[in-house]
Amino acid sequence: MRKALVIQEDLIILKILERLVILNQYDCRAIRSINDLDIEDQSENFDIIISDILFDGIAPLDFVFQIQEIILHKSLIIVTNMGQKKIEKEILASKNVSGFFPIPLDMDHIQKLIA
Amino acid sequence: MEEEILKLLIQLLLITLIIIYGAIAYTMLYRKWRTSRLKIIESTFAKICSLFLYPNPNLEPNLIEIQRELKSVGIVPSKPRNVQYLIDLMIRTQRSILGVNYIKLKTLFTQIPPYGASASKLNSKKWYIKARGIREIYEMDQSQYTRDLIKLRNSDNIYVRREAQIGIVIFLGWKSLRFLPYLKRQMTLWQQIKIVEKLYDLYPVPDLNHLRRAYNSDRPYANELIMRIIRKFHLTEDIAYIIQFIDNPKFETREAAIYCISSFLLDEDQIGEIKEKFYNISNTEQQLMLLKYFQRISMEIDLPFYKDLLYNGNDSIKLSTADILWSNGYKEEVQDYYYQQYTQKANSDFISV
Amino acid sequence: MEIDLYYYIFWALNYFFLFYGLCLTALYFFAILLSNRSVTRNKRKARFLQVNDIVSASDIPSITLIAPAFNESRTIVENVKSLLALQYPFYELIIVNDGSTDNTLKLLVDKYDLEPFDSTFITQPIPTSTVNKIYRSRKLQYKQLTVIDKNNGGKSDANNAGINFAATELVLCTDADCIIEQDALLKMVRPYLEEFDQEIVACGAAIGIINDSVVKNGVVEKLRLPDRLIPMIQVVEYIRAFLLGRMAWSEINGVMLVSGAFGLYARNRVIEVNGFNIHTVGEDLELGIRLRKHMEEIKVPYKMVYLPETLCWTEAPDTINVLIKQRDRWARGLWETMGLHKDLFFNRKYRDMGLFYYPYWMFFELGAPIVEFIGLLSLIIFTFLGLINWSIAILLFTSVYLLGCIFSTISIFIYVKNFKHYNTGKDVVELLLAAYLEPFVYHPILILGQIQGYYKKIFGVKSGWGNMDRKGFQTLPKEKADRS
Repeated sequence: MRKALVIQEDLIILKILERLVILNQYDCRAIRSINDLDIEDQSENFDIIISDILFDGIAPLDFVFQIQEIILHKSLIIVTNMGQKKIEKEILASKNVSGFFPIPLDMDHIQKLIA
Repeated sequence: MEEEILKLLIQLLLITLIIIYGAIAYTMLYRKWRTSRLKIIESTFAKICSLFLYPNPNLEPNLIEIQRELKSVGIVPSKPRNVQYLIDLMIRTQRSILGVNYIKLKTLFTQIPPYGASASKLNSKKWYIKARGIREIYEMDQSQYTRDLIKLRNSDNIYVRREAQIGIVIFLGWKSLRFLPYLKRQMTLWQQIKIVEKLYDLYPVPDLNHLRRAYNSDRPYANELIMRIIRKFHLTEDIAYIIQFIDNPKFETREAAIYCISSFLLDEDQIGEIKEKFYNISNTEQQLMLLKYFQRISMEIDLPFYKDLLYNGNDSIKLSTADILWSNGYKEEVQDYYYQQYTQKANSDFISV
Repeated sequence: MEIDLYYYIFWALNYFFLFYGLCLTALYFFAILLSNRSVTRNKRKARFLQVNDIVSASDIPSITLIAPAFNESRTIVENVKSLLALQYPFYELIIVNDGSTDNTLKLLVDKYDLEPFDSTFITQPIPTSTVNKIYRSRKLQYKQLTVIDKNNGGKSDANNAGINFAATELVLCTDADCIIEQDALLKMVRPYLEEFDQEIVACGAAIGIINDSVVKNGVVEKLRLPDRLIPMIQVVEYIRAFLLGRMAWSEINGVMLVSGAFGLYARNRVIEVNGFNIHTVGEDLELGIRLRKHMEEIKVPYKMVYLPETLCWTEAPDTINVLIKQRDRWARGLWETMGLHKDLFFNRKYRDMGLFYYPYWMFFELGAPIVEFIGLLSLIIFTFLGLINWSIAILLFTSVYLLGCIFSTISIFIYVKNFKHYNTGKDVVELLLAAYLEPFVYHPILILGQIQGYYKKIFGVKSGWGNMDRKGFQTLPKEKADRS
């Protein structure tokens, strides 16, 4: 089974994304903060990570770069409240991200990416 | 006698202290209990929403079951604070989701309690309840109350009128520009931002008729609002409206004009017009912002303009101009200028000696 | 005849102290009412402009955070990392290396891959010491970081250099070793977004004390009360000062001081008044007063506001010596600033600031240590002269002490009611005990520090900033952090 990691502080968005991912045949780990990541997560190879970029103690862009090194994954999708064009441009310029979705978002777009 | 009064005072003070201790203890216990209740409501609601939007295959969501679940976590009319929290959660969710799921959630929210709780808040005398009611009305898309919101657009309370104005934009779209530029009171920056955002999200096709009619307003906040709309919708044909405010006497209006114009690429005539206005701007920082903008959008360096600034501007303008000329290859012009300054200074020193 | 004179002085002083004390008590009661109203109103307002609304908005004002650094090699890399992580969509960070003699700059250059760029033509609306180089990162993820390397000129001069270089509407001046809440900028910008008939020229927020707390990745992971009594009492002192004092002033637009450790200013206005005054150690109060004077003179309606939330954490002096040095410096700053702006005293041209706020500062901020000092002296002298009725004096002292306890308890109550930082019974009991010990073990030290500062000013004793030997917020080893 494919593996997905969802990191969102907003519990409601987290749960909705978790359901979406599970219904698309993923084994999903859903957490609210990067502090909830454990050693096992770091040894996993996730097919997809859907994450926010706003976390305590790490700048949004830095997070995008650092997650490449911390957790093995094939594709990273950003879902965030801080979704201004300027931020989107900077995040996409890092070339580490396969999708950027500012909140409010249409979940169908994510479904297309993960299906 | 004096001793007796003082002893009485001490007793009073001690009683007061004990009362405050009680208040502290009660506050702490209540908050602990309340936080745990709210957590339960939030996680139940999150589960309900996620299963409603993405149910298990062949398993239709059961509304009666959902209502029962909500009741079990304390969403009952006798607990209005819980009900209010649920409304806040609904709004939070509704604002985060677009597309088919938005419609689905709207259907869900009309079928679970509370029913019609927001409209009754409009009659409250407390501003924060009234404003909250307005917010709930527009976030939950209850357009039948538009008339009530229009009535509140000039309310004395900033939050009531702000929420009402945002509601009017949401329900009336571009038609709301019939009211908004002619309000009795100033608009805050946040009101302007919110109105522009709501127009952009909900009515992405600009209605130029309504917009251009609003150009007649002479209220400074309306000028700023319209400039922000022109910027957000990238209405290149209406740039002239922004340009007219570049040298406005009011600092904030100029600031908004410079901010808005900076997202456009201008033709030579428009740049020329702004350069003429440049000299009327009284604030050096704003002039510097414009210089940076000129540098960013100009294909070629307008040497006479920059040389004029280099020789006649104030120190900050001179430095910035020198920087622009230097980095665009006009090093000789800069060197000439500074050489001239040096010789002038040397001569004047010589004379004064 | 001689006895009559002593008796006369005794009664005159008694009535003066009574009058002064009653005025102060009345002001404190008034402050409690105002601050309670202000905090409640702030909470209600915040519901209509939540952090999530702001973080997703475009068109909000851009902010530059300016943090001067002088010989901070021990903590600079971690501190910059933490400052870079602040959540705000339009945010720049300027670190001003104020002529450090250690390897502060080299550490920054190496860690953040900085490269110098041409600074020949940088504009300096506020004159500062020579700027040597300006650095920016080659790395995309540190793109919002700028480091200014300049000759040493002091904290105010470094702030001015940062303000010169900033290109944003708002500038936030802080210290590089402060820990700032991640959403602080989103909260600080609120007043600027919400005001409509008055211009916000400066905004401050409460500052908290972080000694002995656990800091991880530049974020307060576990807030603990300090182990030692001196910093513990300062926690209460700060809560009282920010919650009762500044919030009450904010409610009546009487804020004159936005703390230098954490203040957000409208950049254009700061430039108009020529930035921080580099010749005083009370530069934050001095700038606040100058900004207000400027706005009064140009007749633009304005406001200086305070937020009740603790958005910035700092390390407090934890020994008596360091505390005395700090209060000595603050007292000198206050003395200098009051002297610089003495033209405000009952000056109707400056309206409320001239008629009420400045005289309040003069009588009750600058004057209080002097009055207390005279009080202590007269107590000793009149004891020797046998003029004191001890049974009344003890009862009076108990009443005044209890009144002080009530003020402190109310501020702790308002804090506990509205904020979640100290939320265990143990924390609250410790805070209350610290508050009740304050008049005996802490207040005399403050008076000593303040009187020392005034003495230096009166007799022209040269003194600088004084060093505060900080322990630094070292990240704890993981096991230790986990245990805590």
